[in-house]
Amino acid sequence: MPDLISYLQFVLAPQMLNGLALGVSVILVALGLTIIFGLLDVINMSHGEFYAVGAFGALALSALGFNYWVLIALVPILMIPIGVLTERFLIRRVYDGGDRHVSTLLLTFGLGMIAEDLLKIVFGPNTHRPENPLPGATEVLGVFIPTYRLFLIAIGAVVIVAVALVVYRTRLGAMVRAAAFDRNMAASLGVRVGWVYSGAFAFGVALAGLAGVLLAPIYSVFPTMGHDFILMAFTVVIVGGMGSIWGAVIAGVLLTQIQAISSLVISPVWADPIVFGVMVLVLMFRPQGIFGRIGHA
Amino acid sequence: MLKIDQLHAHYGLAHVLQGVSLTADAGEVIGLFGRNGVGKTTFFKTIAGWLRPTDGSVTLDGETLTGHSPDAMNRAGVAIVPEDRRIFPGLSVEENLVLGLMGRKGGSSKSHLDTVYDRFPRLAERRKQAGNTLSGGEQQMLAMARVMVAEPRVVLIDEPSEGLAPMIVAEVFAIIREMREAGTIVLLVEQNVHEAISLCDRFMVLERGQAILTGEGDDDDDRKRLLDVLAV
Repeated sequence: MPDLISYLQFVLAPQMLNGLALGVSVILVALGLTIIFGLLDVINMSHGEFYAVGAFGALALSALGFNYWVLIALVPILMIPIGVLTERFLIRRVYDGGDRHVSTLLLTFGLGMIAEDLLKIVFGPNTHRPENPLPGATEVLGVFIPTYRLFLIAIGAVVIVAVALVVYRTRLGAMVRAAAFDRNMAASLGVRVGWVYSGAFAFGVALAGLAGVLLAPIYSVFPTMGHDFILMAFTVVIVGGMGSIWGAVIAGVLLTQIQAISSLVISPVWADPIVFGVMVLVLMFRPQGIFGRIGHA
Repeated sequence: MLKIDQLHAHYGLAHVLQGVSLTADAGEVIGLFGRNGVGKTTFFKTIAGWLRPTDGSVTLDGETLTGHSPDAMNRAGVAIVPEDRRIFPGLSVEENLVLGLMGRKGGSSKSHLDTVYDRFPRLAERRKQAGNTLSGGEQQMLAMARVMVAEPRVVLIDEPSEGLAPMIVAEVFAIIREMREAGTIVLLVEQNVHEAISLCDRFMVLERGQAILTGEGDDDDDRKRLLDVLAV
């Protein structure tokens, strides 16, 4: 019995907390992805690069002397115009013509490649490791957990709740959900759908940027860093339901916990295949994901 | 005055509207009749800005609205209650109504919702319910209330009685009469011609995207011609 308690306390619990920190990180990236898909019906293949741009933006601004805590607010704000310009001048141009999914997918894929190469040109191909703003560990139930990971879980939860409140409890959120369901009807009630689309895209990009700032101290900063998270984020969005905020949250926690716990009993190299196996099963038996799409019942 | 002049619209190569003209004064109800697929709904979609006209013009009180986006049409005072109601299923009754308030001139407040709830007590009872949980009749009431709350100058109502019980249809028609009394121009597409004609000041019959008959709603000869043309 004492062995079991020790296992739960010193092996399982820390592993699950690490999994939760990873889960919150993935959810932060997936939230923007799912909002953009749910509203605009655009599979944003450049989302990982927006995440990287956020991380590099924080790196560059901290070199200019900005405090890390200021960057958490500043970087997402700076990402907003990037999102608006991308939606207005690129996405919108191909949005109504021909096959929307293919054309926007190819466009954002190309945009991601350009962004990645620009980051390589400007910052070089090497890995940067920003200073951890909260070094050390905090004792939780007799186990020492890195303080920054605890902060990440807390701020991630705050961001998730804030996003959910905006989307489900405000008039702005009602406009977004209405436009996601039926853009013509929403517009005929006076909703400026073009602004809503730009705003939602920019919001998604800002969330990716915020994720970049928050995760940089843990996962390092390098031009291809978007690749690491985007696969997992897409998996979360598919399992949770394309365009569902709560789906992204639940799938994000669920999949990263599966990954964390399975790593305890089998080789960690099998953790990813298990997670992607869950995605395949969901696609086979419930292709719409756990939850429905934003704006839909 | 609403003036629609020689309106043309296409779906790809299909020439769906072929020069339809119409005028309506404040407080008039104009019925648009015709079989399925003759262009009635397309006519509404073109006026509402959902479909760009390929020719012709739409003016309201002298202001040209041709080709405006749906939200610009809303701001100009043109509202639409579409055939399938298009209630947002993921939004509550109140959220649906709050979106309707966005088109209201001179600002909006929750007190405007109280007026709607007084008129539609059933919606007040269900204000927190999701749109898709309402019955067909309640959804129709919500669709009408959602545009009424903005006090538009023109309302396009497409097949409001479709699939509804006679008692609810009578209520829907009563609401249209209220709109007329408030000075709103109502363009009404309705398959239930016998009921609807009693409501209309004037009517127009469409066939293959063109007006083939116009008349007065209270003129017995015009009514007879209408019923002959529609063979009902």
